[in-house]
Formats: sequence, structure tokens, C-alpha cells
Amino acid sequence: MTELIEDLEPDYVEDEALAQIVEQMWASYFAHVEFLLPSFEPHDIDGEILCASVTISGARPGIVTVSVEKGVASPLAAALLQEDDDALPAEDVYDALGEVANIVGGNIKALVPDAGPLGLPVVSTAKPLHGSSGRLAARLDANWRGQWLTFEVWLAGAGDTTPQNTGQEH
Amino acid sequence: MRALVVDDSRAMRKIIAGALRKLGYETVEAADGAEALKVLGEGPLPDLATVDWNMPVMDGLTFVTQVRANREYRALTLMMVTTEAEHGQIVRALAAGAHEYLIKPFTVEALEEKLSLLGLLPEVSQA
Repeated sequence: MTELIEDLEPDYVEDEALAQIVEQMWASYFAHVEFLLPSFEPHDIDGEILCASVTISGARPGIVTVSVEKGVASPLAAALLQEDDDALPAEDVYDALGEVANIVGGNIKALVPDAGPLGLPVVSTAKPLHGSSGRLAARLDANWRGQWLTFEVWLAGAGDTTPQNTGQEH
Repeated sequence: MRALVVDDSRAMRKIIAGALRKLGYETVEAADGAEALKVLGEGPLPDLATVDWNMPVMDGLTFVTQVRANREYRALTLMMVTTEAEHGQIVRALAAGAHEYLIKPFTVEALEEKLSLLGLLPEVSQA
């Protein structure tokens, strides 16, 4: 019965909405570099990853993640900061990736009814756990400079607890 | 004109400060509300403060509330620049004393438009 009710719950966040938010962010802050090319197929990231995430609290708690291959994190941060990525300290890379998650997460939160505060960004070397009840509400795989970026929105059912950010925090 | 950019993200401080400098502002930065209050206490009072909402130590809403409670800072214009995009949050911020509200991501043109509405575009950018 619970599953039936959950299935009938409206999809507050869908792939298209996530794609629009990411597109708007790219146009605002990354217009001076190569386009981000969305894919209709999921693409797993090879090698070590960096994952930035923000939690959404409230009636439908959730988590928004941005995962990149470790090697692309620095050029991505440099593009956001409009600086040379050779000299970029790790702290700035984590900060920039966290801000990307924050921007996407904040705009996703606006689509979720009765959402509470947005958590501060956490950057880790592993994807956070979503909990057994977490459902993947939206996903966007996009290619930039030949590397894949994955944006995911996980939302729990009503009454579930906020998913936890886990992994090695920076 | 002078602006105080309050945001815990260095990347975002750089983006906002860069956009403001393009519009003719001198900028100073703070990483949270408490640091921003310290900057204000040291003076001189800037014309504008852009304020993020979610920050450690002291969040943007608390900062706005504390600034509005201090008569010495009456001349300071406060603009929230945040990812908090819900209508209810905008209402809360304006009720607390923010003059304007800009949602991230934003363009320089959107920032310019908000400043124009506030009458805070330096003459150099209006020429």
C-alpha cells in the first residue's frame, strides 16, 4: 500500500527541470568556456570521483549531488573562477564544486513542497548514501571537454529522514 | 561606490565582486555574517551589501536582521544574492529588511537591473 501511495505522489522534480537549472547555471557562469553537452544516456564516471552535495530538509528530504572525475574538477573550478587551473589550490576546487552543487540544490529545493533549509555543501571522494527509501528523482549526465559530469536529485518519501552526506569530507 | 560582498564561497565572492567592479564598484569581502558585521564596524559604511543566505557562523538572514537593528547602518542597502528561490524565503528576507533579492544563478545584466531599480548604479556604468 505504501508503495502504491508513493507511486501516486507527483514528481516534483524531473530530469527536464534539473537540465534547465544546470543549463541556466552554465549560461550564467560558464558561458566563456566550452558548452556542456547533455546526454540522453547515463554515463558512469571512470576513475576517482569528487562529489559535491547539498541536503534538502523538510517534508520531502533529499540530496542533490554533482559528481565529476577528479581530473576535471580543477579545470571546472578554474572555469568558474576564470583563473588558470595550474595554480588552483585544492581548497578552491572543492569550494567551486560545492558552489555548483549549492546553486543546483537551491533551485531544486524551490520545486519541492514544504522544503526546509538547504544544507551547506559537502565535497567528498565518494557519493553520499541516499538511504533505503531515497528515490532517484532526476539525473543529468553531461559531457564537458570529453569528461562526464553527473547531476543527481534524490528525494525521500514523505516522513523519511534527511539523507546523510557521507564520505571523506574536505 | 563601495560594496560589501558576503558569501561563504570564495568562487561566488569572486563572481559577484567581479560583476560589481565591472559596474564601477569598489568591493570588500566577508565570508559570513559575523565577519561582515566586523567589516561594517571597522567602517567606512559601504553603499551596498550583497548577502548570501546559507553561510556558517552567521547566516544571511541573521546578518540582515542585525544590520537593520542598528541605526548606524540605516544608509546601507542590502541585497540578498542566494540560491534560496522559494517565494516564502524572498518574503522572509524582505520582511527582515533586505531591499532586493537576486537568485543564483544570475547574470551581470540581472544584477545591473536590480541596482538600477535601487538607484545604485555608479555613474560610470550609466554612461
